[in-house]
Formats: sequence, C-alpha cells, structure tokens
Amino acid sequence: MSTLAERAAARKRAERSQSALDWLDDRLGSSKWLRSAMDKIFPDHWSFMVGEIAMYSFVILVATGIYLTFFYNASGAEVVYHGPYRPLDGQKMTIAYESVINLSFSVRAGLIMRQAHHWAALIFIAAIVFHMGRIFFTGAFRRPREVNWVIGTTLLLTAMLEGFSGYSLPDDLLSGGGLRILYSIVQSVPIVGTWLAADLWGGNTFPGNGDFFPRLFVLHEFVLPLTLAGLLGAHLAVLWRQKHTDFPGPGKTEHNIVGSRLWPQYFVKTNALLLFVAGVVFGLGGLVQINPVWVYGPYEAARASSGTQPDWYIGWLDGALRLWPHWEFRSFGHEIPNPFFPGILIPGILFAVIYAWPWLDKRIYRDYGEHNLLDRPRDKPLRTALGVAALAFFVDLTLASATDLIGNALGVPFETLIELMQYGTFVAPIVAGVVAFRVCVRLQRGQVHPIQRPVGGIMVRDARGGYHTVGAAHDGHEASAEEHGLEPAGAGPPAGASEAH
Amino acid sequence: MKPGQWSSWLSRARLSPERRRLLAGPTAVVGLSVVAFSVLLWASGAPAQTQAASAPPAVDIAVGEALYNAHCESCHGAGGVGGVAPQLVQVGAAAADFYLSTGRMPLDSVHDQPTPHTPYFSKAQIADIVAYINALGVEHGTPGPGIPSVTPACAEATAGCPTLSQGQQLYLMNCAQCHDASGSGGELSHGYVVPSLRSATPTQVAEAARVGPRPMPSFGPGQLSNEQLSAIADYVHYLSTTPDPGGLGIAHFGPVPEGFVGVIFGLGVLLVAARLIGNRG
Repeated sequence: MSTLAERAAARKRAERSQSALDWLDDRLGSSKWLRSAMDKIFPDHWSFMVGEIAMYSFVILVATGIYLTFFYNASGAEVVYHGPYRPLDGQKMTIAYESVINLSFSVRAGLIMRQAHHWAALIFIAAIVFHMGRIFFTGAFRRPREVNWVIGTTLLLTAMLEGFSGYSLPDDLLSGGGLRILYSIVQSVPIVGTWLAADLWGGNTFPGNGDFFPRLFVLHEFVLPLTLAGLLGAHLAVLWRQKHTDFPGPGKTEHNIVGSRLWPQYFVKTNALLLFVAGVVFGLGGLVQINPVWVYGPYEAARASSGTQPDWYIGWLDGALRLWPHWEFRSFGHEIPNPFFPGILIPGILFAVIYAWPWLDKRIYRDYGEHNLLDRPRDKPLRTALGVAALAFFVDLTLASATDLIGNALGVPFETLIELMQYGTFVAPIVAGVVAFRVCVRLQRGQVHPIQRPVGGIMVRDARGGYHTVGAAHDGHEASAEEHGLEPAGAGPPAGASEAH
Repeated sequence: MKPGQWSSWLSRARLSPERRRLLAGPTAVVGLSVVAFSVLLWASGAPAQTQAASAPPAVDIAVGEALYNAHCESCHGAGGVGGVAPQLVQVGAAAADFYLSTGRMPLDSVHDQPTPHTPYFSKAQIADIVAYINALGVEHGTPGPGIPSVTPACAEATAGCPTLSQGQQLYLMNCAQCHDASGSGGELSHGYVVPSLRSATPTQVAEAARVGPRPMPSFGPGQLSNEQLSAIADYVHYLSTTPDPGGLGIAHFGPVPEGFVGVIFGLGVLLVAARLIGNRG
C-alpha cells in the first residue's frame, strides 16, 4: 500500500523523465523510431544469441584493443631490452617486441588486457563459426537472407585475417614463424607471387626492410576493425529489416515473429549475455596464460621452436600445408610452388563454395521461395549431411595442425598420424556425412518434435454440452494458456509478443 | 545430531523453485569453472624438482659392480664391453648418472625407447654404479666426460658467471627446435619422444647436452663451453620453477591447448549461459 506522498513522488519522477525524453524528442524527433525499435520482437530460443556472443566479443576486442594501441609500437628497428624480465635483459630485439614485453610486465593492467584481448579473439571466431553452423543447418540463409549469408561469410574471413594479423604483431619467435610461412605462401602465387611478397614486406628477403610491421599494424587496428564494424553494421541492419527467422511451432507462421520485445525483456537478456561474455573473457585473461611471448623470445630467422602452431582458427590452413603431398607441377619451364595448392587454392575453393551455398541449396532443393520459418536439420538430411561432412573435413585439417602434440600424447609416430589424416580428409567427411544422413532419416521416422505438437490436445464437446481436452498437455511455456484458464487453441498464438513479417 | 534434526535442517535448506531458477545459472558457471580449472591445474603438470644440495655420499665401487652385474650386465656385457646394448667403457660418469638418475635405465626390453621414469635405484646406489662405470673408463685409459657442474645464474653479467639472458638465447638457438621454447618437449620423426625438461634438474640438463642420449646430438665443450652450458641449465631451471606471469600455464604447449580452452571452455560456458538466458520469454 502506498501513501499519498509516495504516489505523488512517483508521479513527479515520471513527469521529470517524461520531460527529459520530450526535450530529446523535440530536437531529434526520435520517439517514433525508438518506440518501434523498443517493440522489436526477438525469438525466445538460445541459439539466436550465439551471434551476440560474437558481437560482444568484438565489443570487448575493440575496448581492450584501444588500450593496447596506447602502448604498442609497430617498429622493426632494433633496441636492447633492459627491464624487469631477467631472461630478456640485455637481448637485442625489435621495438615492436620490446613494446609488447613492456606492455606485459611494466604497464599497469597491460598483461590482463593483452590476455583478455587474445582470449576474446579465440572466442569471437568460435562464436562466429557456431553461429554460422546454426544458420546453415536450419536453412536460415534461404531467400530473403542470402545477402546476410554473404556478409556473414565475409565477416568470418575478415575476422580470421584480423586474428592472424594480431597474432603476428608482437614479432616473437612463434608469430615470426607464422609470418615466415605466410611469406612463402604469398611467394607461391603463380606469376605475381615474388613481386607481391616483396611489395608487402619491402625487400626481396624475409623479414624485409622493416616496413612490414607498420603496415600490419595499420591493417590490424584500422582497416580490418573498421571493415568488421561496417560489415557488422550491415549484418545487423539487414537483420533488422528482414526480422528474425524462427523455428516452426504453435502460433508461428511464415508471416509473423513470436518472442520477447526488445524493451524491456530482451534488453535484460542481451545485457546479461554481455556480462557473461565479459566475465568469461576477463576471467580467462586474468587466470589463464595465453601466448607468453617472453618465453618464445624475439624472432630470429635461425631459431625455431617445436610446437609452433597458429591460433585455432588458422589451424586448418596449417594442417592443409602439413597434409598436402609433396607434388610438384611444372610446365613451360615454370613451377607452381607446392604451398600454393594447400595455402591458397584449396581454401579459395572452400570459401567459394561457402559463399555460393544459398544458390547451390536452391538448385539442390528446387526451392526458390521465401522462408521465414526454419528447417529442422533432420528434415533436410542431404544439407545436414553435407554440413557435417564439411565440419569433419575442417576438424581433420585442424587436428593435422597439432600432429606433433597428438603424436606425443598418444605415443603414435608423427608420420603415421600424417598418413592417417591424409586419408582422413576423404574418409572422415564421407563417414561423418553418411552417419549424419542416417541419423536424420531415423529421427524423421521417430516421434514428432515437442515443438510441433499442438498445444493442449484436442477440445471435445460431449453429448451434454460440456467441454474437455483429449491428449497430453504440451510441456513448455506455451502451457501457460491452460494455466490461466484460457481456451487452448490448436494454432493460436502462445503467450508472448508477436509481430508481422 | 539426531536424524530428526537432520531432516528439519535439510527441509529448511531446500530452496524454493524461483530461488533455484535464479541460482541455476551462477551455480552451473561456477561448477563448470571449478571442473575446468582443476583439469587445467592437473594438466599443467607437477612442479619441477629442485636440486637437493646434500653432501655427496661415500661411494663404494664394489657395491656398484655388484649392482651392475645384477641389473646391467645382461645387455651391456661383462665389464661394460657391450652386448645387445652399447658398450659402457668409454661413456663416462655423465652418461651413467644421466641415464640412472632420470630413470631411463634399466630398461624392460632393449627394444624400448628410454624415457624418463622414477629412478629404479636409490641415490647412493646410483653413485656406486656411476663410480664403477667411471672406473671402467679409467682402467682402459679412455675416461668419458665426468658429471658437469652447473654454476648458478647471476643477476649481473660478470666474468665466469652465466646469466638467464645468455641462457635464453642459447636455449632458443640450440634446444627449442626440439624441446619447445617452453621446455615442454615434443615429438621427432619415427616416434622418437622429446622429453619435457620441466622436471629435469640443472645437472641432468647439462649431462644430457654433453652425452647426447640418442637421438639427441651431443654438445661437446667446443660447441658449448661449461659456462654456456650452465647458462642453459639455469634458464631451463628458471622456466620450470618460476610461476607463470599470466596465470595457469595449461601444459605450456602454446596455441593448441590455448585454442582448446578458448573454444571448449570459453565458448562452452557462454553457450550454457545463452541456453540459460535465451529460452526465457
């Protein structure tokens, strides 16, 4: 029970906030847009939030990245380090490497920011891949969403480039090895390769004349993040315009969208997720060591470390290099260098197929119509099988990047593993695809998915005029219709907000 | 406490469904974190042994000979002349001490690859066998390399005193290509195991460099001076005994375990979080 005074105070507060909003509205005229935006519907299924994990990782990457740019110095010039880390004291290194060591040991909060930045990058791309899998397996890329599939694939590629460029910035022994491999792959491009490598690195030998690090830095903290931000904006704008897809279910049609409004329900949900992402990223950044560049030491061409691997999302490219047979192609007195095939041709073909998938899918299923309701993966066994096969292929290549560690852990010789995984590039996709196909068919024959069961059974009117329901109530939050004593209707909208497509 | 009291305590501790729903998320995350971190802690390996600075025990060559005849002779031959296994007349004390103190010898079968184990003999017994094998070389006029002594690293670079900085440079140039920059080991071709150095003592590191246990090359005094060898051993000791500045070391294997933790643990926890948040209307 509120007193008169309390009620008056509440009214006053409401008036004050109203007048502040009116002030804004008079000047910007934004209330109409804001009102429709606040009413925007987001479907209540967790898998739709995975893209947001990627988005919030990106936000954290930008925030921590800005902090890091204050201290990183992209210069290939040589200095002698004198600082708190004793094993490096008195060693010659590039200014780039020295600035990362200082960032880690001499800058307040530098190490946790660096580690959180790196962990966020690993999670960023993992979330993109998971999100992409959801889009693929549920057919969310179908008309009218082909554009967002293309933007999303470009986002993945840009994120991989961004990740690799960031991994390379410290100029330590680990990343130097990665750049040395990239240099050779660039050189292996037929006809233009050597010129391209010389232009990028500045000079005809690796690591060039020192021009490369400033260039890499501009790419990493300016060009690629802006590209990512622009693509992300476009991705979200298209999503906003086209609205979400949703799984088929009671009250859901091709022309409506059912779920929570942006304000206030979804706002709370999405911010809770942001806090989770920040918690995990900074928790890992503070507790688990990542990329200890002080252990690898400064890059020197004569040195190498075993166990040199790229970050996980580049692993499949490294694996392709390891698995590709030592074939040589010569014609007209010219050789196409071996790394060109696994390093450029194979990834190029794979990503071309990924880009073209919405159109390939249309041809396979002869389905050119619009779809706002999603497929269940089991209902499109061929697509699901192909997707699982592709994943198996990527997993095989990624594992191939860790052959030395796996061999050591399992006690299997390195050569045996390489040979197994070479066969694996053919066998793993076929086996995984066939298994996925059969599982889909089996599931189809099985029970109806709970989400497709009608709500509340069937209403029956008996001879005396009474009503009762036949069949089990649908378990899930839609059952609230019954709890509230409402008439359960077979295809009526469930409790929750909805809007038209 | 009587059974009745227990049950009343339990019923008071029971949470209401709303409370349980509220607590489900944090509990899941905390639980998962505890599980993951205990796995990581376990995976990051046991702390390295520190070198015990004890007075050298009095050695008895006769006891060493008896132990040799009982445990080594069947493969290495009477008097160390060799048999199915290599001769030991010229190998010297460094090799004998290295193989015995790291538990590489005795082997179960000559076809096995010698890998680090808990030593089979006690410290005193090892000293006796080492003395016997060393005496074999002296007898034949072909003494092998003795056990190298490792000078501890100094903070400042002065003459005759190795520094960690020198150690890291020499380690990265000579050792990291097989043993990994972090000393966690790896694998060579044909299934040869490259052992982790993180539990080796500085003396064992120096012995291995001088001896070159197959397939490792041996580094004689012409390649690495005693001071340089000390610097390497000191740096390896520093690597394995200094806490990691960044937190848990996750096995010190670089990007592979890092990717595993990032994708499986990092994204995994966030997927659980999304599942807990996402389906609520």
